[in-house]
Amino acid sequence: MARPVFRKVKAEEAGPNDRRHERRLVHLDRDRPLVEAALRDPAAFDALYRKYLAQVYSYAYYELGSHHDAEDAAERTFLLALGALDRFEERALPHDGDGASTFRVWLFRIARNVVANIRRGQRRHPVAPIEAAAGVADRTDVEDDVSARHEASAAWAAVARLPVERRRALVLRFVEEMSTAEIAGVLGRSEGAVRVLIHRGLRAVARDLGGRRW
Amino acid sequence: MADTGNTEPEIEALLVDRYLESILLARERGFGLAGHDPSLDPELRAASDWLTAGLVRVHPSFRFEERLARRLADAAAAMRLPVAAGGETSSPPPVIARAAAGELDPARDMNDEADLFGHRARPLLIGGALTSAAVSLAGAAFVAWRLSRPVHPMVRAIRAAHERAGHQGGLA
Repeated sequence: MARPVFRKVKAEEAGPNDRRHERRLVHLDRDRPLVEAALRDPAAFDALYRKYLAQVYSYAYYELGSHHDAEDAAERTFLLALGALDRFEERALPHDGDGASTFRVWLFRIARNVVANIRRGQRRHPVAPIEAAAGVADRTDVEDDVSARHEASAAWAAVARLPVERRRALVLRFVEEMSTAEIAGVLGRSEGAVRVLIHRGLRAVARDLGGRRW
Repeated sequence: MADTGNTEPEIEALLVDRYLESILLARERGFGLAGHDPSLDPELRAASDWLTAGLVRVHPSFRFEERLARRLADAAAAMRLPVAAGGETSSPPPVIARAAAGELDPARDMNDEADLFGHRARPLLIGGALTSAAVSLAGAAFVAWRLSRPVHPMVRAIRAAHERAGHQGGLA
């Protein structure tokens, strides 16, 4: 989970219309050194790529349900991020909340758009979440544990039945371990709206599981 | 308790949020699942615990990771080369070039129906312009051909007969 890093802002760093004339604390992106290095030398983007590949790939896989499509989405996401990196802005405003300005949020916004694009292209082809769930389970650390595999498949199947925005919010929360502020940044919604999405998604999953477990 | 104006579902959503935060914190610190929160609905808590254990992160293959790393390295090199001597011969992939040139903002807010790359709009625009231009060119060519072609003697005789008949009819 991303945790905010803080620094003090001097008065001269604030703009002329900025009412903040005193030293204050703002959230800082932990990836700032890596982003700055990549801006100086695009080859240094590799560090950001290595750090976030599994997360972006995982998100795309849960969204698209196929390894092939997830690879395609990850590739496009990182190529686009590399090309547009100089337009990434770290908007560290207090009301954005913890981590809302991070590189990770920006990257996932790109991933979200890329996934939507791929989904448009494959709309005529049915998605098979059950097969996807089996694939997810195969890649857990407990490959031989049939029970864990079954649980992973069932969890994914329950989430896959949710409306798209609730599913996205739950995947970002549980798989990517994002904070509410980060999810709000990725989905372009308020934190309150994200909390409601997650709550309703969990409520639906709880109902779904009701007959199985309790 | 002070009235914050929150409805019951909103309060429950806040409780869920707090519980999920505690789960993530506990995981981050290697404590496993968080302690029980008596104020949270047990069904929601159980669903949260179940998803926490069941929704696992998926890793791509090592082969894919290295292949994409090479592709990004090539693209990064191509982005640097134009400023170096002899760099004109290499160019980054089109999608990177478009993003770098500001032609598309890959992180912009867009709904699921929008096209990130503008593929839907562009062919229509180009196709429309091409069609329009083609019709205009064909029309101009047809008019020019009609004006410039030699008139057959029989056609001239028929037109003259029509004109005579018209004059006679008008005088009568």
